Amino acid sequence: MKLLIHYPSTPKRHPWAVLPLTMVAFFIGLAFAPVSNLHAQTSEPTFSEREAQTIDRMIMCPVCPAETIDQAQVEISKQMREIVREMLAEGNDREEILDFFVQRYGKDILAAPPKSGANLVAWLLPVGGVVAGLAAVFFVIRSMTQRGPVPASSQPVYDDGLAPYLQLVDRHLDLNRGGGTSNLPGPAVESPGTDPSGPDESS
Amino acid sequence: MADLGSISLWIALALAAYSTVGSVGGKLRLSPALVESAQSAMYAAVLALLVATFSLVIAFIGHDFEIAYVAAHSDLAMPNKFTWVAFYAGNEGSLLYIATILSIMSAIAVWRCPERFKDALPYTTAVLMLTLTFFLAVTAVMANPFDKLPFVPLDGEGINPLLTHFGMFFHPPALMAGLIGITVPFAFAMGSMLAGKTGDEWVDAGRVWGMISWVLLASGLLLGSWWAYTILGWGGFWFWDPVENAAFMPWLGLTAFIHSIMVQKRRGMFRMWNIVLINVAFGLALYGMFMNRGGSVPSVHSFGASSLGWIFLMFLAIGVLIPFAIFIWRYPLLRSARNLDSMLSREAAFLVNNLLLLAIAFVTLWGTVYPLISRLTNDEEITVARPFYDQVNGPLMLGLVFLMGVGPLIPWRKAGLASLRRSLLPPAVAGLVTVAILVAFGLYKEYALIAFGLATFVTFGILMEWYRGARARNRSSGENYAAAFLHLIWANRPRYGGYIVHLSVVMVTLGIVGTSFFNTQRDVVLSPGERVTIENYELVYLGSIETPKSNRTEYTSTVQVFRGGELLETLRTTRAFYPNFNMASTRAAIRSTPVEDLFIVPSENLPDGSVGFRILVNPLIWWMWVAGPVMLVGTVIALWPQPVRVPARVPSPSRIAAGPRSSVA
Repeated sequence: MKLLIHYPSTPKRHPWAVLPLTMVAFFIGLAFAPVSNLHAQTSEPTFSEREAQTIDRMIMCPVCPAETIDQAQVEISKQMREIVREMLAEGNDREEILDFFVQRYGKDILAAPPKSGANLVAWLLPVGGVVAGLAAVFFVIRSMTQRGPVPASSQPVYDDGLAPYLQLVDRHLDLNRGGGTSNLPGPAVESPGTDPSGPDESS
Repeated sequence: MADLGSISLWIALALAAYSTVGSVGGKLRLSPALVESAQSAMYAAVLALLVATFSLVIAFIGHDFEIAYVAAHSDLAMPNKFTWVAFYAGNEGSLLYIATILSIMSAIAVWRCPERFKDALPYTTAVLMLTLTFFLAVTAVMANPFDKLPFVPLDGEGINPLLTHFGMFFHPPALMAGLIGITVPFAFAMGSMLAGKTGDEWVDAGRVWGMISWVLLASGLLLGSWWAYTILGWGGFWFWDPVENAAFMPWLGLTAFIHSIMVQKRRGMFRMWNIVLINVAFGLALYGMFMNRGGSVPSVHSFGASSLGWIFLMFLAIGVLIPFAIFIWRYPLLRSARNLDSMLSREAAFLVNNLLLLAIAFVTLWGTVYPLISRLTNDEEITVARPFYDQVNGPLMLGLVFLMGVGPLIPWRKAGLASLRRSLLPPAVAGLVTVAILVAFGLYKEYALIAFGLATFVTFGILMEWYRGARARNRSSGENYAAAFLHLIWANRPRYGGYIVHLSVVMVTLGIVGTSFFNTQRDVVLSPGERVTIENYELVYLGSIETPKSNRTEYTSTVQVFRGGELLETLRTTRAFYPNFNMASTRAAIRSTPVEDLFIVPSENLPDGSVGFRILVNPLIWWMWVAGPVMLVGTVIALWPQPVRVPARVPSPSRIAAGPRSSVA
């Protein structure tokens, strides 16, 4: 209760020069409200309601499509929520409670496949896929960079004429802005060759 | 009305089929007249479909219950404004809506087609019209909204009460338009390949229509989340429901596409990759429609369950296999104009971004099919729901946010270490400082720390870019900072519009992190006058009023909200029971502030006047809903046509000599 509210400071009030600091303050301000909530949290004497809700969200409602017992408002999910709390009050832990429901309703009462046995595949395949994908991208990029530039004949003709300008612009941008992106607008950058792909007209 | 609608539907089908055949035939037999007439048929199909659409609307307004669809989705008590919603409340109307939107988008896309693509346009028309033919055939034959009942009922069954919500006016139409809209960039890619173009001619049209579909899907998803938040009565907004996923996956594919297409537009690279990406996005969109219409997976969206599933599955197979066959056929033509220069380049960052987006789509797809796989291989019923997606996709999404901070700050081609340090170090430091301060204040949740750090990193990077750009203009032209900032954005709309969209993604991230890690939820039963405390709010339930309405009974409960002994607000929340549907619909009372939402929803009304409430404090979720308009503004800016600035664009004679860029590859 001590902490009433933490309104984030709005960047508008500050001149441009202190923008960076304001930014940091802003995000800290945003994150603050949650922190204060944590402090204010009161737990029940015998079990944590938060833990009960976590368990609720791991158990599907047996009669309603695609909803957990935390979401569903039908009678049976209400009863199941009560069972979760009773079992927590009796000192059972999360595993035991989930096991209890699995024995009653089967494995598909769990909102996610168990991380054991054949169902490990469900968890490991995505991880493997992502790792393999990352490796593939790495090798593709490496082979592309090692292959060097595409032979001049297949390049658009205008590139040759522009090459010196392009280099100049690249260097210029790197020196001037650090960001180095090749299309800073504004007078200084309306320079010719920054955009080899032609006008940005849309269809 | 039923006959007029039905006839126009069949006429539209005939026109679309003729347009498909005529475009290809005219192109192959070098008959411009035939191509022209096929195009006119396409425009005429729009008219026919508009007539069909208006027939159905008039049937709804006139309570023409002879039409089965009108009888099933409306009743005499339904206010006319809900006709808009009732129109797509079932399969038949949705399909008509989808077909109408597709025909309109096709007509605009063909009409506004860039000059340099004209040569390949007949193929694009054919792909568009083939898709339209499919949808119209399914509508006319299997799910005709104008089918008549053998008798005329006195009253209709009424509209699904869950649909009578403001969000429902936009969420389904935006999603359906976004899903079907992917056909347009896809058709441009296909047309380009079929014509043997394969260069960059299709890129402009592909990008614009890709972004239009993207923003439609994104708004649809956000509006759907908002609808779920205010009406589904459990206090959350997203739970990886199969149908949510069905719309989310194509959105991911499109997100990858509209980033990657920029690389082709600016650097002439990733030509094959972009074709693959738009094919994937199109395939995912078809899969999405299959899930939506087929009802093969249990979902809260079982509004349109039907036997259309198999037809859509077949179309999905065709829509994925044939494009890939064409792709392999044209593969040799798709070489890039350039190679990557370095691992440290924006191009490489785009590739990794594409990979992560596709990975999330893949995980989501995997999650939706795994129960089926488990049933077939293991004979075991398994559910894959929210905990799975949260755990697997969560880290991937954080990776995306990270790349969103890095990508715009590293240059094309090759980044020097010095320039990287200059552009990435300040945002990185800002992110770390945020994390350090949060830890100092006792916040120890790793995910949340990383997310807040990354949010700062991205936002800081974008603001730094804006600041540096504005400063450069200020110094060179003496504009004040505000004017310089606006001119900066206007001068390079695709880029700075994109930044605004990135900011909106940061806002969504804040909402997700706030509610996922820091929300507080309580379920209580209160009798009138009783009070309850949640966080630092104190709530007093005053009582409920029961109001019988023609099709429902409404219970309005009044709750006073105090903080520190001071009355903040008096909130009213309603719960309505619809005997026709044996279902209740709730409307949450929400006190929304940028810091946190206080969310109260009645879950049951007991006979003694006491009410079961679910009360939540959801930090930062406000940002998520504000992100929607911000994202729209950003997309509109990015899409706003750039004038062709002739003086700045005629740098050297050799470039002019090069002419149109079809000579590439």
